[in-house]
Amino acid sequence: MNYEHEPHGVFFLIDNKSFYASVEAVARGMNPLKARIVVMSEADNTNGGLVLATSPDAKKRYHLQANVSRARDVPHDPQLSVVPPRMNLYIKRNLQINDIFRRFVADEDLMPYSIDESILDLTHSWRLFGNTPKEVAMRIQHTVRRELGLYTTVGIGDNPVQAKLALDLYAKHDPDLISEIHYETVPEKIWPIEHLTDIWGIGHRTEAHLQRLGIHNMGELAHVDPYELKAEMGLIGQQLYALAWGIDRSQLRQRRGPKNASLGNSQVLPRDYVNQNEIEVVIKEVGEQVASRLRHHHRLAACVSLSIGFAYAATSVDGRSGFHQEMRISPTDQNSEIVAAILKLFNQNWAGQAIRNVAVYTSRLSPATSQQLNFFEPTGQQVRRAATDHVVDGIRDRFGFTQLVYANSLMRGGTAINRASLVGGHNGGNAYE
Amino acid sequence: MNEDLRYIEERLDAGFTRRMQTRYQIMVTNDPYDQTFNFFLNSQRRNQWQKSLPLHSVTTYRLAYLEALLEQLRKHTQLTFLFVGFTGQRWPSNQQFIQRRRLGDE
Repeated sequence: MNYEHEPHGVFFLIDNKSFYASVEAVARGMNPLKARIVVMSEADNTNGGLVLATSPDAKKRYHLQANVSRARDVPHDPQLSVVPPRMNLYIKRNLQINDIFRRFVADEDLMPYSIDESILDLTHSWRLFGNTPKEVAMRIQHTVRRELGLYTTVGIGDNPVQAKLALDLYAKHDPDLISEIHYETVPEKIWPIEHLTDIWGIGHRTEAHLQRLGIHNMGELAHVDPYELKAEMGLIGQQLYALAWGIDRSQLRQRRGPKNASLGNSQVLPRDYVNQNEIEVVIKEVGEQVASRLRHHHRLAACVSLSIGFAYAATSVDGRSGFHQEMRISPTDQNSEIVAAILKLFNQNWAGQAIRNVAVYTSRLSPATSQQLNFFEPTGQQVRRAATDHVVDGIRDRFGFTQLVYANSLMRGGTAINRASLVGGHNGGNAYE
Repeated sequence: MNEDLRYIEERLDAGFTRRMQTRYQIMVTNDPYDQTFNFFLNSQRRNQWQKSLPLHSVTTYRLAYLEALLEQLRKHTQLTFLFVGFTGQRWPSNQQFIQRRRLGDE
């Protein structure tokens, strides 16, 4: 492979070691690597408790997996601390960490990738901070540790994907928590990987597809005919081939937004919902939440979709795991219109199954610059109805969501009041702070 | 009443459920990174894991203030206090060590 014309830079992918658990350990005055901490969400839809994160020591001892392990998998060891999540605190720490990164790179060379990962393009600035990229990485690690008490893991590469693979495959197991992949080391670092799902971007379905084609590891993937792979898998085939050779032509400075933005919410219900009224209460609440977010973003939606996930028992009877339907509507951000559309979708498709999952999404968004009136109602009435939604939003922004709720949220089945303080579906933290 | 004290007492009363065979402790930690004193309610049933519930973070980062706050709090509760991250530091009023020994996982 001739890498001469591929972009050569210095990219870091930095993540936090067991982020949530480490933040909780530091808040408790403990060393994140020594503490035995499990962050467990005990929200009422987690069926007793869901492990969100474990400190490295607890991970090693109890073999727990974030977002998979349940309360029942956590052994009753008196040495272990179980703590509730505080999402607001983690968001605050993430912002602090990115502020530290900004001392090493320009704003446009930093891309926060997730709540605990960021991509840094140090091509233009690494020489200011050390003699080798590794030295700079150690300097960043020390700065974060000194100022926030947290340990970070760094993957270094000539492009972002090499940095990501270095991070995922090697840095976590390295004593310095740093690892490097460069164009010249791709064959020795990427090709020996036996399990395709260890690679970023390859999940179980892609792995199964590749195995059907006789590709079982990265070395084999790198040596197929890329044109055949593209014919079989489309654009993704080409991308996977590039991945196997450590090629990534993306430019961090040229951010691409999504082609079609969408906005929506979903939730897992705390128990199986069977009763039509109860289900409709939840759907309405989710619809109102989405409509309110549309108004906050000053957007109108011209398409709504409703996804319903059935409970396990209903799935085995029905054969489907749920249904997903979309509907075009005239552009709107009003509660009543969005809720009417999704209730219609629900009533057309639901046949009495017990449900456990509700998602409402809106798409085909446009800027909210005007209100479309219709011929069939008096103008004043339509304008007033739109204004009501804005007044309710205003009151909630000022005094909090729970200070003004629709009466049906108080009925059996409503979840909006309990979920009001959640961040990303988990406990946000002390409501007092 | 002091805001910090009110928050701690409210959440403490909500979390201190007096379950059988359970040890309750208030953990006060010194967070030099955030410059705060953090309060937690630790509870542990016999032979089970410990639960650690955050109560409050005090942002007034002065030992004299912490000492006064704890004096008030001790009027409200008789739970044992556990201090973490204070090794080498002394209470301003009587110059006694706050925390005698460093814990294993500090």
